[in-house]
Amino acid sequence: MKRRALWAAVLVAAMTLSGCGSAGSGSSSDSADDKLVVWDWKSGEESAASYIKQAKADFAEKHPDVKVEFVAQPFDQYYTLLGTAIQSGKGPDVMLFNGGGEIRDRTDALLPLDDYVAKDRKRLAGWEAFTAQGKVYAAPVTLQGHPVYYNKALYKDAGLDPEQPATTWREFLDDCKAIAEKTKASCLSLGNKEGIGIQFFLSGLGPGVLTPQEYDDWIAGNRDWNSPHVRQIFELWKEAEDAGLNNDGANSTALFNDAFARFQSGEAAHIVGLMSDVGHWKDFSEFLDPDDIGVMRAPLVNSEADPALPYDGGIGYGVAEWTKKPKLAADLVRSLTSKDALKAFYADAGAVASDSTLDVSGGGQALTTIVSEIKTGKPALHVALSSKTLDLMGRLSQQILSGSTSVDDALQKLADSDRKG
Amino acid sequence: MPLRGSPSSVRPAETGRTDETQAGQRTRRTDPGVPTPRRISGQRAERLAPYVLLAPAIAIVVAFRLVPLLMGVNFSFTGDGERDGTAVGLDNYAELFRDPLFRTALENVGLLVLLLPVAVAIPGLLATFIYLRVPGHPIYRSVYFFPAVLSPVLVGAIFNLLLAFDGPFNAALGNTGIDPVDWLGDPDIAMFTVVGVHVWATFGMALVVFLAGFSTLDATLLDAARVDGASLPQVIWHVIVPGLSRTIQFVFVTTMIGMLTSMFGLLYVMTSGGPEGSTYLPEYYIWVQQGEMNRPALASAASTVLFLLMLVVGLAQIALLRRAGREH
Repeated sequence: MKRRALWAAVLVAAMTLSGCGSAGSGSSSDSADDKLVVWDWKSGEESAASYIKQAKADFAEKHPDVKVEFVAQPFDQYYTLLGTAIQSGKGPDVMLFNGGGEIRDRTDALLPLDDYVAKDRKRLAGWEAFTAQGKVYAAPVTLQGHPVYYNKALYKDAGLDPEQPATTWREFLDDCKAIAEKTKASCLSLGNKEGIGIQFFLSGLGPGVLTPQEYDDWIAGNRDWNSPHVRQIFELWKEAEDAGLNNDGANSTALFNDAFARFQSGEAAHIVGLMSDVGHWKDFSEFLDPDDIGVMRAPLVNSEADPALPYDGGIGYGVAEWTKKPKLAADLVRSLTSKDALKAFYADAGAVASDSTLDVSGGGQALTTIVSEIKTGKPALHVALSSKTLDLMGRLSQQILSGSTSVDDALQKLADSDRKG
Repeated sequence: MPLRGSPSSVRPAETGRTDETQAGQRTRRTDPGVPTPRRISGQRAERLAPYVLLAPAIAIVVAFRLVPLLMGVNFSFTGDGERDGTAVGLDNYAELFRDPLFRTALENVGLLVLLLPVAVAIPGLLATFIYLRVPGHPIYRSVYFFPAVLSPVLVGAIFNLLLAFDGPFNAALGNTGIDPVDWLGDPDIAMFTVVGVHVWATFGMALVVFLAGFSTLDATLLDAARVDGASLPQVIWHVIVPGLSRTIQFVFVTTMIGMLTSMFGLLYVMTSGGPEGSTYLPEYYIWVQQGEMNRPALASAASTVLFLLMLVVGLAQIALLRRAGREH
């Protein structure tokens, strides 16, 4: 028995000291020379079928001998599966990413695309979300933003002017009061079960709090979590709950799709939604009259703030660092962001594509408002944070809602995490 | 009785007899004590045969069990991100135990241990009622087992709907004048809710084990207890519990392992580890670190800790069963 214990101790000690090997190294792809493998979570969806078809046709025209295989992974498992592929160094040549933390955390496994996509830089928007340390790692397919949608029918029921939504937080609170008195709907539809509600709140309503300089500093990485205005955003988060603006049980309501469903079924008057293919104007118009879906700017909390549409690159395709065919793979990325392909994606899925030259006039008033603000828009506040800080912010936001932590404590912990991250 | 003419397979015992006739016979036949080349190769083949037969199984165990396990432990001593591939000693373990989320996950393991008697008592009591033939017992047997064949994801989705803040369960409570409860959104309640659903979904299997245990119980003891005028609680406490001690111990350990390793699906669907991280278990923590945070080395360290935890539970199981066997 003693000998067995001794051997176990020796083995563990040897491993501790050596720690050899790595959990994430590797350098070879297993696909054949005449074949490219793409991983994403979109190509299996019906609404993306014509987009993928167009992209394939565009690529086949340039490279008729190369076969392209799309492997659609389930989204909720996507980054886990990708993580396994990255660790083994064997996997797809081209991969789909969300902009922001998801891609920035994995740039070691990606090829910088600056030289390959130089010609597309002007035509496409949203590059910032796929850029890390000054290098571009994916080309944007869609733009993802966080407009504040409101239900004009509920405004009418509450005796409010649906064409004149609140421009200040005070007015917003007054409107919410009227909605609560005259309708059964809650003012805000909030889903914070996975801690995502705070991300949308921060990005959707933060532009009405931070001054333009503070906003730019935040995006640039100079984040002062203890500044009065950052504190104010989190105090608003608490105030909205305490004032009864949110639906009951926000911490047990999933944003996807429960909170969105609440809004589109007329149970809530406002929601910070999305622009790209889910939780957006087209999704909502499935149950709401498209003319009843309004988009408003973040209400002004501070007079020095200058609210702009918060948006970034939504999803984009990048090239694996281990691919044996970097130029071919980059060409495929360019086909996946070609004008015709993106046009098809917009037409079928209602996604706001990254191509700013597309005509979207047939999308209704809400989309027209969103697109008109793209030029003056700014990156979303939460996208600038690391996955780790976002995860922590999700839990702390739940604690703030339930009252088990103070805003000060939460900000201190977030500041620590952001510094380390 | 040996067959006539068939060679004896038994070597004569060396009794030390010096009988001439026997000695002569020995010299005429091949002396079994003297090794011939064929005998040597036969003996070697016989010696090697078990190893050859075991080799495929050993190769599979080594290749698919031990090597990944050791690789996982090895990864846990390397870094993530910028330190990928470099040796970091015990850094990951130090970070793990500094992480309040991992500590919550371990505390929840402790909570599961505390809730374990309840998780065992429910199937035990229900099995007792079925054994004692409550009216309609064949129906109960199948109804109790039914959730065991449902996928945890399905169970989670069903209870998500039932236990939603504005769901039917709270509506029913409202009808009786009780305020709605945020079953999955209150950090003080959520873990109990998930464990309750897990017990609901899995106690059918433990119930079957208990019923199997009952089949070995001596019915005359029950009859004797009844004749002596024992009440139901007395029958359970003084006859059934001692009679089923081995079964109870077995169910204890398997239920504990099930709670530690099979609640991922429910946690993922019902709470996503929340609210406030209150429903994290080590397994869920590992998945988040590996999949969401892209920290495979830290996840490996957490896996190693979970493995050691399971090892302790496994060893406890062996110790319990051994002791029960001795007592028996």
